[in-house]
Amino acid sequence: MTIQECYKAIGADYDDVLGRLRSERLIQKFVLKFLDDESFRLLCDSMAAGDLDTAFRASHTIKGVCANLGFTRLGASSHDLTEALRGRDGAAAAGLLDRVKADYEQTAAAIRAYKAEAGL
Amino acid sequence: MQARFETDRMDRGVQKQGRAGLRPGGGHGETMQKGKILIVDDSEMNRSILADMLEEEYKILEAEDGEQAIEVLQEHHADVALVLLDIVMPKMDGFGVLEVMARNNWIEDLPVIMISSESGSAQVARAYDMGVTDFIGRPFDALVVRRRVVNTLLLYAKQKRLMDMVEEQIRETERQSSLMVEILSHIVEFRNGESGQHILHVRTLTDILLRALVRKTDRYELSGEDINRISVGSALHDIGKIVIDETILNKPGKLTSEEFDVMKTHAMKGAEMLDALESQRDDPMVRSAYEICRWHHERWDGRGYPDGLSGDEIPISAQVVALADVYDALTSPRVYKPPLPHERAVEMILDGQCGAFNPLLLECLTENSDSIRMVMDADSDQAVIRESQNIVKDSVRTTPGDATASERTLRLMDYERMKHSFFSAMTKELQFEYSVTPPRLSLSSWAAELLGLEEVVANPARDQRIRAILGDDGWSRFSWEVHQTTPEEPNASFDYPLTYNGQTRWHSVVVRTVWTTGTPQRFAGALGKAIDNHDAHERMLTLEKQAARDALTGLLNQASARERIRKRLVERPEGRYAMGVFDLDLFKAANDSRGHQFGDQVLKVVAERLTHSVRSSDIISRTGGDEFMLFLEYNTDLERTIDRIFNSLCGDYEGYDISITMGVSKSENAGLSYEDMFREADSALYAAKRAKKRQYLFYDSSMKDVLRAETDVNERNGRN
Repeated sequence: MTIQECYKAIGADYDDVLGRLRSERLIQKFVLKFLDDESFRLLCDSMAAGDLDTAFRASHTIKGVCANLGFTRLGASSHDLTEALRGRDGAAAAGLLDRVKADYEQTAAAIRAYKAEAGL
Repeated sequence: MQARFETDRMDRGVQKQGRAGLRPGGGHGETMQKGKILIVDDSEMNRSILADMLEEEYKILEAEDGEQAIEVLQEHHADVALVLLDIVMPKMDGFGVLEVMARNNWIEDLPVIMISSESGSAQVARAYDMGVTDFIGRPFDALVVRRRVVNTLLLYAKQKRLMDMVEEQIRETERQSSLMVEILSHIVEFRNGESGQHILHVRTLTDILLRALVRKTDRYELSGEDINRISVGSALHDIGKIVIDETILNKPGKLTSEEFDVMKTHAMKGAEMLDALESQRDDPMVRSAYEICRWHHERWDGRGYPDGLSGDEIPISAQVVALADVYDALTSPRVYKPPLPHERAVEMILDGQCGAFNPLLLECLTENSDSIRMVMDADSDQAVIRESQNIVKDSVRTTPGDATASERTLRLMDYERMKHSFFSAMTKELQFEYSVTPPRLSLSSWAAELLGLEEVVANPARDQRIRAILGDDGWSRFSWEVHQTTPEEPNASFDYPLTYNGQTRWHSVVVRTVWTTGTPQRFAGALGKAIDNHDAHERMLTLEKQAARDALTGLLNQASARERIRKRLVERPEGRYAMGVFDLDLFKAANDSRGHQFGDQVLKVVAERLTHSVRSSDIISRTGGDEFMLFLEYNTDLERTIDRIFNSLCGDYEGYDISITMGVSKSENAGLSYEDMFREADSALYAAKRAKKRQYLFYDSSMKDVLRAETDVNERNGRN
């Protein structure tokens, strides 16, 4: 699996991110780093604990990271979640969280597959 | 794959170094230093992406929330060239950081670029309102980020230069206007026949009193700028006298009441002159001078002239100058009276003998007696100016707010001084200054405390305590070192032992001498510092003692050979090693018959032969006297090697037959211990000598009981 194929599997825009970061090496580095980012776990934990402030920040960070990496799909769902959390609308957020979780899992699964296949 | 990753990183690192070496500026724009950029973002990944884009050109500092950012800025804000700031963060968000930066006035000279996916126009507008220079939305483009960082830094560099230029111009204008005022007022004084110092005194005193007043009460809203303006304007208080007839102005005796009426017009005349300056009339400086001229002869009780104002109807500027004018008239000499001492003058003023004044100002006068007396007693203009500057500086510390350009400079100087004394205590530097006339030694407070001296010691050359510190002939020895310098090369550094607190310790002394400006230039004094380097000094001495090589032969001495052998045994324990110990037969006889110089020559020749007969990886040493040692690693035929070496050492030198006896040990038997190998080789040497000189013997267990001690005692006479 190439990094381009990985992007395709994620539903992300590789050309966009290459246009901005201008280095395949950097893209690879940050895509792999995405797996280590704690924001998603923080989001799930704080949502479970009803801590909407922290959830907002975590969701916001995920959205920002997705924007930088061109993860369009997860970027869009975390954007919606961020806006719901900005208004501290717990009910709406709970509904949107499932979508974010699904998109995150899909994204993370694709990256893990890429990582395994590349023997990294 | 992991490995390739690492290699990539390393390659980049090397490349980076190379570039930095070639281009010290490290990037865009020749004038730019390699600046520090602070990246503030709660996501490690976001920081990392930005750092990757910028780290080739800039040093990167990172903070993961607003509070950390403030901590970093508190420590480094002078070094940080730019902040990249996220908005949404835990603990303190980006706006919080901007607020703190505004409160500390950092935002004025430290550009901030906000980076956020918060692209709502309200957020962007708020960021700009709070002083950010630029706003970059996510996702960002590497080129755009780099370019905007460069642009912002260039912009700020330009702005900084412009600000410096403006500041310089303001200072120059201030200087020039103060110069004009001074010239003008001296013309008046000259015509008055008063001393040129009156203006200066009134000005200084006005300044002192106003600052004291501001500390005391907030009744008069006086900014630092107001105080400066009034102090400068005070010089003009008597310009009206320029229109007074000279016969009245300089009349030696008492004035008639008509004459006094004429004299009194000077207040109004001065004010009119200033009012006539049509284009400048509304200038704050001219307004202050106007008030001072017109009302500096009014009295608190309303019985003054020209307008009979009372209490705070009289502008505070005029009140203060009136008091300063009277005080200086009393304490200065006049043709008709001697100067009065400070106490007497104050007494007369408080008594109401010289007018009626604002009680608050009288309190300022009595409460600041010390600094006033100090300034006024000073016997030269220079001293007055210097002191008044000090007082201004004191006041800067106590007057909050409205920092002007020059006050900021003073504050910076104060800060530098504080920093300097702090570091001198931290680095344990004894700082000193010496002047020839008067002979005086000044010490930094830390040094004085440590040495148990005052901060200023008069006649240090004859001071017993200095003598105790420098040693008996210390002063002249110290002077000699210092006198090695010249006006062209005024710096000297040397090591010197100083004695204090019951200990003598070596110090590294650095001195810069000061010379007179005349011809010929004479030695006027010196300043410098001494730092305790005793431990380093001792280490050097020990090292010199243990210096690896023997001076005569250039071979290793025993200590360093031992070290190397031990190291070899530890590093390559799998090797097979042999050690040979030998001395010269009948060497004493050679010394006796042909002299010690010849003896030394023989030792050198043996060393040379030894050097040539072993490999460079072998270890050879002159262990003392006529004793030598060799240590080598061998594979097969050790006996042949030893035989070859033995034969190359023996033989004729200038008619003298060099003959040696050697004992050899092997690590195979002795083990990997220097001591054991040496003991066995030494025992073998002794056994050999006892049997027959001019031979070598390998150690075997039959020699086990042969003790070196025996050799020492019994052979001392017999073996040579």
